[in-house]
Amino acid sequence: MTQTIIWTIAIITGLGIILAVVLYLVAKKFKVEEDPRIDEVEKVMPGANCGGCGFAGCRAFAQSCVEAPNLDNNYCPVGGNEVMKKVAAVLGMEVKEKTPMVAVVRCNGTCANRPKTNEYGGYQSCRVKAQLYTGDTGCAYGCLGCGDCVSVCQFGALSMDPETGLPVVDEEKCTACGACVKACPHNIIELRNKGRRNMRVYVSCVNHDKGGVAKKACKAACIGCGLCAKTCPFGAITVENNVAYIDYEKCRMCKKCVAVCPTGAIHAVNFPVPKVAPEKPAAEKPAVEKPVAEKPAAPAAAPKAPVIDAAMEAKLAAMDPEKAEKVRKALLAKAAKAAEADKPSAAPAKEETPEAAKPAEEKKVEPAAPAAETKKE
Amino acid sequence: MAQHLGAPATPIVAAGDKVKVGQVIAEPAGFISAFVHSSVSGTVRKIAPRKDLAGREVMHIEIEVEGDEWMEGIDLSDTLVTAIPEDNKAILDKIKANGVVGLGGATFPTHVKLCPPPGKKADCLILNGAECEPYLTSDYRIMLERSKEIIIGAAIMKQVLGGCPAVIGIEENKPEAIRKMNEALAELQAGCKGYDGITVQVLKKKYPQGGEKQLIDAVMKRQVKSMGLPIDVGAVVQNVATSLAVYEAVQKNKPLITNVLTVTGNTLPVDKQHNYLFRIGIPLSYIAEVAGGVPEDAAKIISGGPMMGKAIANLDATTVKGSSSLLYFTREKTERGVESACIRCGKCSEACPMGLEPFLLQKYARNGMFDELEENAVQDCIECGCCLYSCPANIPLLDIIRIAKGDVIKIIRSRAPRK
Repeated sequence: MTQTIIWTIAIITGLGIILAVVLYLVAKKFKVEEDPRIDEVEKVMPGANCGGCGFAGCRAFAQSCVEAPNLDNNYCPVGGNEVMKKVAAVLGMEVKEKTPMVAVVRCNGTCANRPKTNEYGGYQSCRVKAQLYTGDTGCAYGCLGCGDCVSVCQFGALSMDPETGLPVVDEEKCTACGACVKACPHNIIELRNKGRRNMRVYVSCVNHDKGGVAKKACKAACIGCGLCAKTCPFGAITVENNVAYIDYEKCRMCKKCVAVCPTGAIHAVNFPVPKVAPEKPAAEKPAVEKPVAEKPAAPAAAPKAPVIDAAMEAKLAAMDPEKAEKVRKALLAKAAKAAEADKPSAAPAKEETPEAAKPAEEKKVEPAAPAAETKKE
Repeated sequence: MAQHLGAPATPIVAAGDKVKVGQVIAEPAGFISAFVHSSVSGTVRKIAPRKDLAGREVMHIEIEVEGDEWMEGIDLSDTLVTAIPEDNKAILDKIKANGVVGLGGATFPTHVKLCPPPGKKADCLILNGAECEPYLTSDYRIMLERSKEIIIGAAIMKQVLGGCPAVIGIEENKPEAIRKMNEALAELQAGCKGYDGITVQVLKKKYPQGGEKQLIDAVMKRQVKSMGLPIDVGAVVQNVATSLAVYEAVQKNKPLITNVLTVTGNTLPVDKQHNYLFRIGIPLSYIAEVAGGVPEDAAKIISGGPMMGKAIANLDATTVKGSSSLLYFTREKTERGVESACIRCGKCSEACPMGLEPFLLQKYARNGMFDELEENAVQDCIECGCCLYSCPANIPLLDIIRIAKGDVIKIIRSRAPRK
């Protein structure tokens, strides 16, 4: 009995020793030569493996940093400039500082702004929904509201606001890895410059429909009127396919466009509230993008703008003279009232503009409504 | 313009032009593409994007209807033309010029399907008389009313394909159609030449019997390989409605401008459930009106069959060549139950006509495991919806698998570009 035990132990120990030697030799022979700097770089990486840099993970990124001649094409959006500086220190390379980015949801289609036209009863996923149809509101471009962006965010920076039905970005948590941008089937989310003191101005709409159609679907849609592009002193705004876009590289945040936008589709976030409410500086605690709340904060840039500007004039010209005269009178009367009411408070002057723009816009589009007997291809 | 599988057609008329019924208003823009003809006469009002039934913007040609003036050269008489022209090329040209596409649902241009690629030969032409989905009866109706025309269409296609045998497959729950087709066939075979080798085969009643691959299996006992086409096993499948369109195109020179729509649903009283012959391009809302209005308790309106059809988001959308039905359903009938965990009961695998394992696929799909998805043949899914229908846990299997299937097919295509 004892002998059996001894033999067993001896055989297993012997086997272990032989295999250990074999393994040692194999490891020696087939050793993978790896740059030790890769490990060092990986140590300073955030380790999120989010793929925001465009590589498979932090190690792949580290490897590419080591192999690349310079760091111009490599940037870790999660770690930002701090991590890149550390990487540069490890590798003894220079690194250019980049402006940090943040994800911005470009849809203003809250439940109030965008009435539902039908109901969706299928699987709650934006991708599935987008494949089936264009969404449960009249807008074919806006947020689908199933929260694909929320579920892909590894940093918990996104959440759905049950009140508006739109995703909300927590700017402190957002690392601009871009996962949500890829997940959104309607390409609503964009990475934009974080901006000085987190202040940003952007068009919160991606609707390509013509003005009337867009507005019918959503009260706060960009109607592509081009007022903002004309007003912008820096040429940062372009209107393409009936939707305006603000180039964040060129934008100097004068907010003139915010004031002229007839539908309130342009949002300015994190600007300090002017004098009226000196509670907390807005820059310190970034207000989450709440379109409705932001509106009153818009400054008084409007009063100087003419009540009937060139764009409106053109629209009036397109109508028949009787209608045009009526609209013109209504506009002037409203502007006069607004001017009387209160000069410094910007809100009324701004509020009037959309009201005035509405009749002109709607009347223009109405005749295009299709009759019953149409033929489609 | 996107009425068929493949590249959308290019409009060749401009706003203000006068058009007649049957006039070509758009040309094919590629090999797999088809002509589009005006189904009404009148003035082109505008060519602009308009929302289709899913709400997407698609180019439309809107025509203001004025009278009903037909193009010359279209035979509008009821006389049956039984003699089959001999020139195969002329037949194909006619099919192409008259914009015939497969009316079984996929709307694949018919002339392309009738020209097998070099090196492949058709052994059998299968006419699909198995209604593709429950509730639909449009194919059944045309088999009853136009049985001879269908058989002539089949004889024409058979000749183009080089005289292979033709089988008309009809499900066993349509005895009337089987009887009618057999009668018509006997009559034609007795009276004229060129109708030999056509038979009627009775098929088992099940869904999806009308699926192309299922039909080939049932009729020829051959299985199409993964990612393969029916022609790989020597089969060409055409719907009975397509056969009728071929007959009209070749024998009557009439373009494809009408189709039969079933208007039914569980909310509609039986006396209102009908099949209608409509000109293509009429707004669905107009059809609903003609058919007696949308029932009040209808919560969901579906175009194209309860299993694979799409819920309509926009009733102002117009019919297209592939439209086959308008179905009304109540909320109770369409509402999905609450999703619960998969217990691997295997009901979905049992139901899958392609022999896939949907429960496994959805798991892989949710985790983005594309290699595993491909190994488990997600690309063979025919999106029939049987798995979803059978799942006791209400897991949206098809929704998830469909997305993954699209991704996997994209990956496969990018690996080896299809020629």
